[in-house]
Amino acid sequence: MTIAPAVANRPYRLARKRTRQAVLVWCFLAPSLAVFLLYRILPLLWNVVLSFTAWSPLRPMRWAGLDQYEEMLHDDVFWHSLWNTLIFIASAPVGIVIALGLALLVSSDIRGRDVYRTIIFISYPLMTVAVAIIWRWLFDERVGLINYIARSLDLVDRPIQFLNSFVWALPSVIVANIWQMLGFYMIILLTGLQNIPPNLYEAAAIDGANAPRRFWRVTLPLLKPSLFLCFVIGMLNSFTSFDLVYVMTGGGPGRATELLVTYIYKLGFSQTRFDYAASVTIVFFVLLVGITWAANRLSGGNAGAVEKD
Amino acid sequence: MYRYPRWPIHLALVGVSLLMLIPFYWVLKTSVTGENIFAYPPSILPKSPHPFYYVDVWYYIPFARYFLNSVVVSAIAVIANVVFNAMAGYALTRDFPAKPFVLLLFLSCMMVPFQATIIPAYLITGRLGLLDSYWGLALPQFSTIVCIFVFKASFDAVPRSLIDAARIDGLSEWRIIWRVMMPLAKGAIATNVILAFIWSWNNFLWPLIVTRSADMQTLPLGLARFLSYQEDTTGALYAFCIMVLAPGILLFLLAQNEFIRGLTSGATKG
Repeated sequence: MTIAPAVANRPYRLARKRTRQAVLVWCFLAPSLAVFLLYRILPLLWNVVLSFTAWSPLRPMRWAGLDQYEEMLHDDVFWHSLWNTLIFIASAPVGIVIALGLALLVSSDIRGRDVYRTIIFISYPLMTVAVAIIWRWLFDERVGLINYIARSLDLVDRPIQFLNSFVWALPSVIVANIWQMLGFYMIILLTGLQNIPPNLYEAAAIDGANAPRRFWRVTLPLLKPSLFLCFVIGMLNSFTSFDLVYVMTGGGPGRATELLVTYIYKLGFSQTRFDYAASVTIVFFVLLVGITWAANRLSGGNAGAVEKD
Repeated sequence: MYRYPRWPIHLALVGVSLLMLIPFYWVLKTSVTGENIFAYPPSILPKSPHPFYYVDVWYYIPFARYFLNSVVVSAIAVIANVVFNAMAGYALTRDFPAKPFVLLLFLSCMMVPFQATIIPAYLITGRLGLLDSYWGLALPQFSTIVCIFVFKASFDAVPRSLIDAARIDGLSEWRIIWRVMMPLAKGAIATNVILAFIWSWNNFLWPLIVTRSADMQTLPLGLARFLSYQEDTTGALYAFCIMVLAPGILLFLLAQNEFIRGLTSGATKG
């Protein structure tokens, strides 16, 4: 008699317990989800809507169809900043190759490797604005250290105006960017190297593979996921590199170092053209997703998985 | 095992280390002498160093105010980050019907860089009435997906039996997180604190957009403003640089391993 109701209640109780669990899970997820919906998903959708309208804080919103995109086709500054952004992205592999060399050196069993690792990595977590000021000044034409060294070595007879020249401005910013990212790539590759089982090298050595062969046949294939990751992060970093360009050159001289990000910022917040800025953002985002997808396909589509062969 | 001479490796690494360190040295030197700004050729060692440029910084700009703003915004961001990420990470250790959807949502949010959201993010913050306020500055950084996964991995490693035991003892889920899980996830907390702090401390674009009044500006903004007012003709700029960089470098040297673990664990998740 006393047990019967409890048995009868069991499915009900279980269901209630499950509901309570679900409520709890959603309560725990709610704050993070809210932040992401508010600052990632909603802005993305809002951008799409804005890009098809003509709107600014002072004018009422009006449907504009593809007008913004059509304007973009004829906008030289847009094409120029797109081109600069692509060059900036293409510079990421240079940094990654240098970092790969450094990671191989640091992973050898030499004394003081932790010190080297720390020194090479230290530029990454620094405030980019300060890094930009430091480099701005190293590149200075009157008293910059780089010009001083170049002149002392007789490489140039007149100081180069790195950040004020149309030719040198973008490469200079790229050098500063690689300098800051180098340590980060190296850490990722170092982790990848440490995850390669040492007995593979021993087996390869017994099979008579010399050091270069071991590198090409063992190290590089097994490092592929880490290299892919470096590329994705490096590309993301180049795509979004705002601080460095804004402080070092402000996009100048002319538009020589204008990137899509800085152009979007200027369109939105100096020219108050939110609608057009939003449509540039859409192109920017589609390009980003496209390149990531292509990189993933090129890497075999299984970045993160261990190579099977 | 394999014998090879070590000195070329050391030589190469010392060379690279110098490349990484010389910019710091140069800034430090200028901040105590200022001689490179006017003199050519520059001298390698500082002659007659003095601390006057560091004093100048306090007169030129409201350094204390910028510093306070940076600290407050970072503190809000870090605390919210740890609490929210831990909650979300704990929720993701459970099974619930919509879990694949939530995971997909998180992973796709990772693909949306903040820079691609600035225009609507500004408009949204305006609608919320948070422009030019500490909360508006910190709000977009209240939760980070990488750190949610760091917490999830750390919570997954806690044995089920421990959680069941706590539940039988009558602890509520809320208390299980704070009394059982969090003490076992110290590594994840440290990682999250450091990452959130560095991200918030160095953030430039968002404060640039959101702040209007000089009173709300953070250190990176102050630095950029200082550059645009003074140009680079005073040693005080470089003294300011050093004052801004020092906390980050110190924190990094103290907690290097947690920082690297955070980056690589977020990284290996793909």
